[in-house]
Amino acid sequence: MTTPLILLPGDEVPNDHLPTIKSHAKSAPLKIGQGLRLVSQPSTTSTPQSRVLKATQAGILTTDSKRKIVSLLSFPNRRYTPTVNDLVLAQVHHSSADYFHCILTPHTPHAFLPQLSFEGASKKTRPNLKQGDLVYARVLSTGVGASAEVELTCVNPATGKAEPGGLGPVTGGTVFDVSTGMAARLLLATSSRADDSDDGVAGLVIISELGRKLANVGGFELAVGRNGRVWVDCPDAEEHAVPAILAIGRCMQLTDEHNLDLADQKKLVTRTLRELKLAS
Amino acid sequence: MAAPIASISDAFRADGSASYKCPVTGYRVLAAVNAPVELPARKGALKPQEATVEVSIRPGKLSPSVVEKSAESILRRMLASVILRRHAGYPRRGVVITLAVVEGEPVGRSGTYLPLMPALLHSSLLALMSAAVPLSCTFMTLFFAVTRSDEIVRDPTPAAIKDAESLHVISFSSTGRTLLDLVDGPCDLDIWATIHQQAKDIYQGAAVPGPDGDISMDEESNNAPGDIIRETVEDRLRRDYRWEFETL
Repeated sequence: MTTPLILLPGDEVPNDHLPTIKSHAKSAPLKIGQGLRLVSQPSTTSTPQSRVLKATQAGILTTDSKRKIVSLLSFPNRRYTPTVNDLVLAQVHHSSADYFHCILTPHTPHAFLPQLSFEGASKKTRPNLKQGDLVYARVLSTGVGASAEVELTCVNPATGKAEPGGLGPVTGGTVFDVSTGMAARLLLATSSRADDSDDGVAGLVIISELGRKLANVGGFELAVGRNGRVWVDCPDAEEHAVPAILAIGRCMQLTDEHNLDLADQKKLVTRTLRELKLAS
Repeated sequence: MAAPIASISDAFRADGSASYKCPVTGYRVLAAVNAPVELPARKGALKPQEATVEVSIRPGKLSPSVVEKSAESILRRMLASVILRRHAGYPRRGVVITLAVVEGEPVGRSGTYLPLMPALLHSSLLALMSAAVPLSCTFMTLFFAVTRSDEIVRDPTPAAIKDAESLHVISFSSTGRTLLDLVDGPCDLDIWATIHQQAKDIYQGAAVPGPDGDISMDEESNNAPGDIIRETVEDRLRRDYRWEFETL
């Protein structure tokens, strides 16, 4: 294990921490991710070592030497800023002739969701979403310049299918707010197929633990939005539905708030289920 | 001299938050940052090419008055020069900084805000970093008083502030620029230059390791406010990303 390098705004990224880029034209260029900026660009004749990258945020430097990406991991409670291809949980604010105007984060301009960008939607058959309805959508574009408008979509424009699965209006269930860092971890934990591993994915075991322990009430559905919102539903749980949903929400929020480690997460799941009378 | 006490990301619902306590003056400031947000009331007045910085100071026990307004405008100008206001996602949006003075002697209508400046500036810097607002650099702020016998005192006590001939606040960016130079009270140019030089020495002592490559651990260079900010940020980031770096 190497100690992570922590940078503050204005700090220069040391050259030995950057992925090696060969100077010949065929190699992939360096991609600069979030939290860094290029201060001086090397000219084509000089060596790549003359490149100067500076941090714009406080964070831990991470590099992906295979894909040649360098970026900073910043504080997890920051505000969500839309990025193309993010999966988000949007709430409809109002609808106009062609668009649903959706809320992604409080106190930011509404995001636009075209009324026809649902699977199988046409001028005659399109979802009739009311104020407050929830949509699981993908960020299609974030626009350019000062009046940048965020556009969402629930279909893949190339195929006309809801890809990846599950995009579209969500009904029933409850939404819980978590930090954006926690939402990213939940997405990692729920999208990978490592449910059986005991040490968890992205430092989270609550989802796999809850999945195992709530299997007897019919399991649950989860939709994680990168904007820090998580939708939970237990469609088959009947009279256990409300306590089961509450248990899942409470486990996520307490893990987030207290930054629990794996052993504490397991204890939290057991205790929460016992308190809500879902397990003996 | 006691070191200042700082913490970051305390408030769970704000985008960024921090608190900073100056033990000598006794002021504790709680800062919250929300960014980038829409400022609906003055949509037309916002500059289309860059973000607008808003600062509001809430004094602990009194309602805000003229002195707060004047301190707010100083902070706004200084912080706006550090924030990268043209970064993607920031033009025509607002960076809202709320500072609450939660501990310490209240500043009256005729009082001076200079003793509060280090706490206000350091807490806003930490909160801005916690909200991941793009910044061009960090900064550190130093506070001096000149006594009636022309003696320069760094981080004066409240009693010394009351007796002082003049008060000085100086801010340096991590790139070495002077960001702020405030003087309250009569002071001649020689004293001003001496203070400026002394501040610069402290600033450089904090940033540059000694001749043997080690950072000296003695009292004088150990209490630079830049160190406490870096330590606070590093501690919090290590704690937040424990899940990623302990399982490697």
